[in-house]
Amino acid sequence: MKPQQPRFVSQCIAVVAKLCVVVLSSTSFAAPYIPASDLTPLEKLATRINDSAPVRGSAAMPTLGPSSRSMRALLARDPKNLDLALRIAQLYMARARSESDPRYLGQAQAALGAWWTQAEPPVPVLLLRATIRQSNHDFKSARLDLEQALKREPNNAQALLTLATVQQVTGDIKSAAESCEKLQPLTSRLIGTTCTATVDGARGQAAKAFDAISTALAEPDAARGTNVSVRTWALTLQAELAERLARPVDADRLYRASLALDAGDAYTIAAYSDFLIDAGRAKEVIPLIAADTRVDTLLLRRAIAAKLVASPDAAKVADDLTQRFAASRARGDRVHLREEARFVLVIKNLPSESMALATDNWAVQKEPLDARIALEAAVAARQAKASRDVVKWVTDTKLQGEKLNQLVSEARAL
Amino acid sequence: MMRRIFSTLLASLVLLASTGVAAHKASDSYLSLSVDGARVTGQWDIALRDLDLVLELDANRDSVINWGEVRARHAEIAAYAARNLDIKSGQSACPINVGEQLIDSHSDGAYAVLKLSATCPSAVDALTVNYRLLFEADAQHRGLLKLETRATDGGSPRVVSAVFPADNASQTFTLSNGSTLSELGTYIADGVKHIAIGFDHILFLVALLLPAVLIRDGRRWLPVTDMRTAFWSVLKIVTAFTIAHSITLSLASFDVVRLPSRLVESLIAASVLATAIDNIWPFLPPKRWLVAFSFGLIHGFGFATVLADLNLPNSSLLLSLLGFNVGVEIGQLILVALVIPLAYASRRSTAYPRYALQTGSIAIAALSLGWLLERSLNVQLMPF
Repeated sequence: MKPQQPRFVSQCIAVVAKLCVVVLSSTSFAAPYIPASDLTPLEKLATRINDSAPVRGSAAMPTLGPSSRSMRALLARDPKNLDLALRIAQLYMARARSESDPRYLGQAQAALGAWWTQAEPPVPVLLLRATIRQSNHDFKSARLDLEQALKREPNNAQALLTLATVQQVTGDIKSAAESCEKLQPLTSRLIGTTCTATVDGARGQAAKAFDAISTALAEPDAARGTNVSVRTWALTLQAELAERLARPVDADRLYRASLALDAGDAYTIAAYSDFLIDAGRAKEVIPLIAADTRVDTLLLRRAIAAKLVASPDAAKVADDLTQRFAASRARGDRVHLREEARFVLVIKNLPSESMALATDNWAVQKEPLDARIALEAAVAARQAKASRDVVKWVTDTKLQGEKLNQLVSEARAL
Repeated sequence: MMRRIFSTLLASLVLLASTGVAAHKASDSYLSLSVDGARVTGQWDIALRDLDLVLELDANRDSVINWGEVRARHAEIAAYAARNLDIKSGQSACPINVGEQLIDSHSDGAYAVLKLSATCPSAVDALTVNYRLLFEADAQHRGLLKLETRATDGGSPRVVSAVFPADNASQTFTLSNGSTLSELGTYIADGVKHIAIGFDHILFLVALLLPAVLIRDGRRWLPVTDMRTAFWSVLKIVTAFTIAHSITLSLASFDVVRLPSRLVESLIAASVLATAIDNIWPFLPPKRWLVAFSFGLIHGFGFATVLADLNLPNSSLLLSLLGFNVGVEIGQLILVALVIPLAYASRRSTAYPRYALQTGSIAIAALSLGWLLERSLNVQLMPF
C-alpha cells in the first residue's frame, strides 16, 4: 500500500495539469476577423462525409436542393400538412445518414413540430420520432414509440426493424431476436437475414450469421433490386463477423467490398479503420480519412492512427478532437461518450477518466464496441470492480472476438 | 403513397439508427453578454450553415459561402438575429442593437460574429433572456449563453453559463452586482437545505448520535453520568464527520477525484445501514468518531454531486464550496441541537435504549437497506 502513495499524488497532479491544458486549449479560438476579400470562401455546404474519397453510393440518396427550400416554405404556411411534413422529415433523415450530420435530425424534428409532443401521433410520425430519439440516445422513449406503432400496425416492417435495432443496441438481445423473427415474412430476404445476423453475431453465433449473409447475398435478386445501403449494411456486418471469427483476410476483403459500394459510409470507414488499427496497419488509415473530416467518429480513428504512426499532424488532429468534445459537452450532449472514452484513453492517456466515461456509456449502450472500450479502460485503470459487469455480460452473451476475449482474461486477472 | 416512401427509406433509416449519428455536433450558437450597470454588451456567434438554412446565404448556389455572400446580407442577418433574441431587465425591454459583423471559426466551421449592445432603462438586477433563434428550423438547436457581470467593487467578474434549448427558451438570471456576501449567503442556504432534505445524511447522523448519551457496558447500555461526557462525545463525532466530508467534497469539486454517482449513493446508503446495525450488534470500531470520519469521506462525495448540480461558474467555485460547506455544518448543528437535548433528557429512562436506540436503529437500518438496494440495482422500490 505504502509505495502507491506518491504515485497517487503524482497522478492527481498530472490529472489537474491535463485538465488545465484541456480547458485552455478549448477556449483558444482565434480572434474574430474580417476576411480579406469577398471571394474568400468561408463555409462549404453539403460537405461529404469523407472529402478525400468521392461518394458514389450516396448518389442514390434524395438530395436537398432548392426543392427542399420551397417545400419548407410551403410547410411554414401550412404547418399541419402531414404529408408534406413527412416528406421533408424523411429527406432530412436521409441526409443525416448520408452526411453523418446530426444537424439534420433537428431539422427533421422541426418539420414534425406540429405532432412532436403528441402522445399518439400518426404512425409515420412515431417511426420518425423513434429514429430521431434513438439517434439522441433516448432509447427508452424510442422504444415506447415503436411499441405504440406496432400495437397499431403489427406488421409494420420498419417499426420492427428499428425496434430490433434499439433492443440490440441497449443489450436486450432476446427481444431483438424476437423482433427480427417477426420481421422475416414482412421484408426482403437480405434485410431479414441481416437483422437476425446482427443478433446472432452478438450471442456467440458469428459463424452461423456469417454463412447466412453469404447465402442471402448470393441470391440473384439481392444484387439487383436491393438498395445500396442495405447491401453495404450486410457486407460491413459480415466483415465484422469475420473479424470476430479471427478471419482477417475475409474481413479485409468484405470491408473493401462494402466501401466499393459506398465509399462514404461513415460506419464502414470507422469499422474498417478499427480493423486496420488492430491489425497493426494504422498507416493505411491515414489515406482513408481526411484530416479535416467533420465526422467525429472518423476523426477519432484518424487521431489514433496519426498517433500510432507518429504522423506530423497528430497533435493538431488531437487538438481538433479535444475542441469538438468540449463543444458537445458545453451543449449538454451525452451521445459521444463511447468515442470520448476511447479518445481520453488512447490519445490523452487518462485511464480513470476514460473509465468514468465508459461506465456512463455502458449504462446506456451495450454494443460490442461499448464492451470493448469499457474493458480496455478498466484494465488500463486497474479497476477490477468496474469491469465485472461487462465481463459478466460478455460471458453471458458469449460475444466472440480475439481482442475481447483477451481483454476479458486481463480484466479477470486484475 | 406514404407507404411507398417508407419502404424505400426503411433501410436507410435503420442504418442511421444502428450506426448512430455520433458525427459532427448538432447546431449551437454562442452568445456572450456582459452586464455593466444599465448597459449590456456582447457578441453572438452563429454558424454560417445555420444562417444559410433560414436565409439562403449561398446566393450563387455553388455550395460554398464566401465573404461577399455574407456581407451582402448583413442587414438581414442583423434583423433575423435581433428578431429572435429579447433581453429584459425586470419587466422592461432592453432594445438590442446589432453592430459590426465579423467571422470566426469554431470546431465545426465558420461562424458569423455579431457584436451586440443594448441599453436597459436602469441598472440591471435581474436579466431575462428570451432566445428563439433557429428553433423553427432546427428543433435541436441550442443557444449557449455566457453571462458576465462586472463587479461594482472592482472584484473579479462573475460568469454564469446557461443552455437554451427549444423547451426552455426564456431564463432569468439574478445578478449579484458584485456582492460576494449575498452570494455566499445563497450557497450557505443551499448547504442547509441539502441537509434538511437529505434524509440519508440526517439518518446517518441520527444513527451516529443516538448512542452518544449512553456508554456501552458489555451487552448493556448505561446512561452517561454528566453533560460533559455527552458533549465531548458529540463534538468529536461531528468534527470528525465534518473534516472528512470537507476533504472529499473539495477533492471532488476540484475534479481531483471523480466517482460514479451511483456508486457514491449506494455507499452512502451502506454507511447508514452499517451504522444503524452497529447500534444493535456492534461490529464497527468502538471509537465512534473514527466511524464518523471514515463514512464522512463517502458523504463528502455525495455533497459534491449536489454542488455540481447547482451548475456553478468556475470563477466562484471556491466561494461556493466554502458557503455550501458552512451551510452543511449549520444544518448539522441544528440537527444536533434538536436531537441531543432530547436524548440527554431521556437517557435514564429504560425506554431509551430499548425504543429510541434499538427500534430507531432497526427502522433506520430497514430504510437504508431499501435505499441500498434501490441505488445499487437501479430500481425503484420505495415510494420516496
